[in-house]
Amino acid sequence: MVRGKRLWISLLFLLLGLGPGCSKKAPSPSPPSTEPVHGGQVTIAVTQDISSFNEYTGFAESTELAILDLLFPSLLIEQPDYEQHPPSFAPNLAVSWAFSEDNRTLTFHLRPNARWSDGTPVTAEDVAFTFRVQKDSRLPWSGQEIKDFIEAVEVVSPTEVRFRFSRTYPYQLMDANDGHILPAHAWGKIPIEEWTHTDFSRHLVTSGPFRVASHVPQQSLTLARDPAYWDPPKPYLDRVVFKIIPDTGQQLSQLLAGLVDVVLMVPPREAAELKRHPKVEVVEVPSRVWGYIGWNNRRPPLSDRRVRRALTLAINRQAIVDTVYWGFARLAKGPIPSTMWAANRNLEPLPYDPAQAAALLDAAGVRDTNGDGFRDWQGKAFTVELLYPSVNTLRAQAAVMIQADLAKVGVKVQPTPMEFTAMMARQEAGNFDAVLSAWEEATKVDMASLWVTPSATAGSNNFVGYSNPEVDLLVAQAREENDLDKAKVFWDRAQELIVEDQPVTFLYEGVQLVGISRRIKGANINPASVFFNLPEWYCEP
Amino acid sequence: MTARLIRRLAASIFVVWLVASGTFFLVALTPGDLASKMGDPRISPAARQRLREHFGLDRPIWQRYSSWLAHAVSGDLGDSFLFRRPVREVLAQALPNTALLACWGLFLELALGLALGLVQAYKPHSFWDRLLSGLSLAAYAMPAFLVAAVLLWLLAYTFPVFPPSHMAEPQALGLSFWGRLAETARHLALPALTVGLTGCGAVARYLRGSLLDEKRQAYMLAALARGCSKRRALLLHALPNALLPMITVLGLSLPFLVSGSLVVEVIFSWPGMGQVFYAAVTARDVPLIQAGTVLVTAAVVAGNWLADVAYSWADPRMRG
Repeated sequence: MVRGKRLWISLLFLLLGLGPGCSKKAPSPSPPSTEPVHGGQVTIAVTQDISSFNEYTGFAESTELAILDLLFPSLLIEQPDYEQHPPSFAPNLAVSWAFSEDNRTLTFHLRPNARWSDGTPVTAEDVAFTFRVQKDSRLPWSGQEIKDFIEAVEVVSPTEVRFRFSRTYPYQLMDANDGHILPAHAWGKIPIEEWTHTDFSRHLVTSGPFRVASHVPQQSLTLARDPAYWDPPKPYLDRVVFKIIPDTGQQLSQLLAGLVDVVLMVPPREAAELKRHPKVEVVEVPSRVWGYIGWNNRRPPLSDRRVRRALTLAINRQAIVDTVYWGFARLAKGPIPSTMWAANRNLEPLPYDPAQAAALLDAAGVRDTNGDGFRDWQGKAFTVELLYPSVNTLRAQAAVMIQADLAKVGVKVQPTPMEFTAMMARQEAGNFDAVLSAWEEATKVDMASLWVTPSATAGSNNFVGYSNPEVDLLVAQAREENDLDKAKVFWDRAQELIVEDQPVTFLYEGVQLVGISRRIKGANINPASVFFNLPEWYCEP
Repeated sequence: MTARLIRRLAASIFVVWLVASGTFFLVALTPGDLASKMGDPRISPAARQRLREHFGLDRPIWQRYSSWLAHAVSGDLGDSFLFRRPVREVLAQALPNTALLACWGLFLELALGLALGLVQAYKPHSFWDRLLSGLSLAAYAMPAFLVAAVLLWLLAYTFPVFPPSHMAEPQALGLSFWGRLAETARHLALPALTVGLTGCGAVARYLRGSLLDEKRQAYMLAALARGCSKRRALLLHALPNALLPMITVLGLSLPFLVSGSLVVEVIFSWPGMGQVFYAAVTARDVPLIQAGTVLVTAAVVAGNWLADVAYSWADPRMRG
């Protein structure tokens, strides 16, 4: 299936005359017109339909949340400026906000002219209602823990709402802002017990730059400009159409044919070819995704950090970045992507050094004892089963390169493609040697989930079973620290220790490749979201 | 006769129950569940646990099974974990789309296969026979994604005669009934042709073989001896008999009407059952997988049964 799909993408490109031999010099992006103009339509290809218009009934993918951003207001807009400091916030539904002196109370002042699509004003009652929904244990919302330290949300007046916190910490504003505001007057009438099986497309009351004009399940979602939007003259576009196209080959072909204007995830190989096309621009957005090989730290000899370091040293990670990702990635250095303020800038990636790797393996007692060319451990062949999701062709290619690299130092690797959910289950159960996977760092830096020793009672995402008491202590200290500069010292040291221990091999930092038609102007595509400033997009007249 | 029908019906229900139960336990015993699919780092382990509790995935397997069976028997298919809507609504949306594509796909498959088989059998071992044999073997061997790629290149992108995907353009919602019908027909062309082209080779091969068998029968010699033309003998005497095995082929195709083709549906963004099943399986959406399994199994049983009935109607020898 994977091979088939891959072949199909390549074939279509070849048939369209975009093979490697067909080189066209891409002109530089046309400069934006001076004045944005109203009107026009943008068609965006997405791989799957929105699962629900109510994010609190389960789990929403990031694209889905980005679409909901256009329909439901959030109090503030998180800015993608997390390179030097934690993200700042811009006014949205709330025009201003202020903390009390003891920092335990946060008051938002709402925009008086905000209206729901049925004409009802958006008020503090909607914010309080949304908070009750977010905390309701009858709903399986995946973000409930975010609101753990918010004790209450009180309505002061229709345009003033107050959040009371049980403790103070650096991310209070971020946590208060998380989640879209719902229409209390409309959705409050639906009993909460019925929410998880209610089709909210039949109860749509929205408040954003756009309204839902039509939704054909599994086909398209058409948004139309909301004339009552509180920030005129935006949005400029009359319509935004999300076309559901599950096949990447078709997405790219339709972009080239002018049938769609935006493709959110261009595969790296195709990006190189797409860049030659005069009507399309490929925007490279540094993402917070980083790829890794997670070694099972509980399983000897992988529990020995010398072995893990040796395995990292033996893998030519730059070659993976250059070959598999066609250079559209950066070599990863440590547990926090280098594009984030909390990253330790002094870290350097471990070098590619097979000789040192071999020496470390020898020292750890992983040697070839029977002369078959592969190393053994305590009298048995040392074979590492490397799991990766079968639908991911890039990981499949990387797995082969890792296998070849490690074979050079005498380590036998067995790449095993697995259905994603089954792989995750093996991961959760700790039943694996190594997993080739990726992680997306949240903008709220918290190393506890991945790197603190997993406890028997509280759940953890530290599936590799990494444990270093010093890291545990540093992370605890950093989390207790309200002064981010002081916290950064703890984060930096924790990162150093993690890189020394190599519980995982840090492979690459991802770059999201967005294909966008050159007729679209004003788009500021950034790591926050491709649709970050969609209300400001306009079409070339 | 009634007793036979009742026996057959009971056996059918038993088969459906057996397959559905087997699927239930297979899915339950397969590693991973809906919550494990949530690889998003922002989803905490506590949130995963809450999902499991919410959808009852933390209950013992027997409890889950008996609860599913009790609901299924009463006609309640439950709510889809993934689509967060009643399963019957999800199926009601996807099934007609798949049936539409499959019906036209099968029609093209039969029409093209029939034409190819007839031309080949008319003058076996001739140049045309050899050429069409090669072509039908190639069609038989070609994967759907390859046929789709060629059709798209030719008829959607190079000569934009047909749209490359979807059932209709978003703006088609405002069209009249006839306008929408025409819109659907335009969008149906390429996926249906893909299904038809990939399937017609097999039909042609079957038909050619059985037509040649029939041509060797004594009744054909008798017909020709009576002065019947070769073409007339082939069409009026050999073809009806040669078509009998096609009833089996058609009967076995019935499940395709409800299961859909994942590859064709994905490439052409056709919102049918293939895509729904695939999404359901990868998300371990148990209610949807179970409902789909029951539906496809019932279609297999019904297809066999209909083929038997059609046989006894078409072949007088079977009526005794």
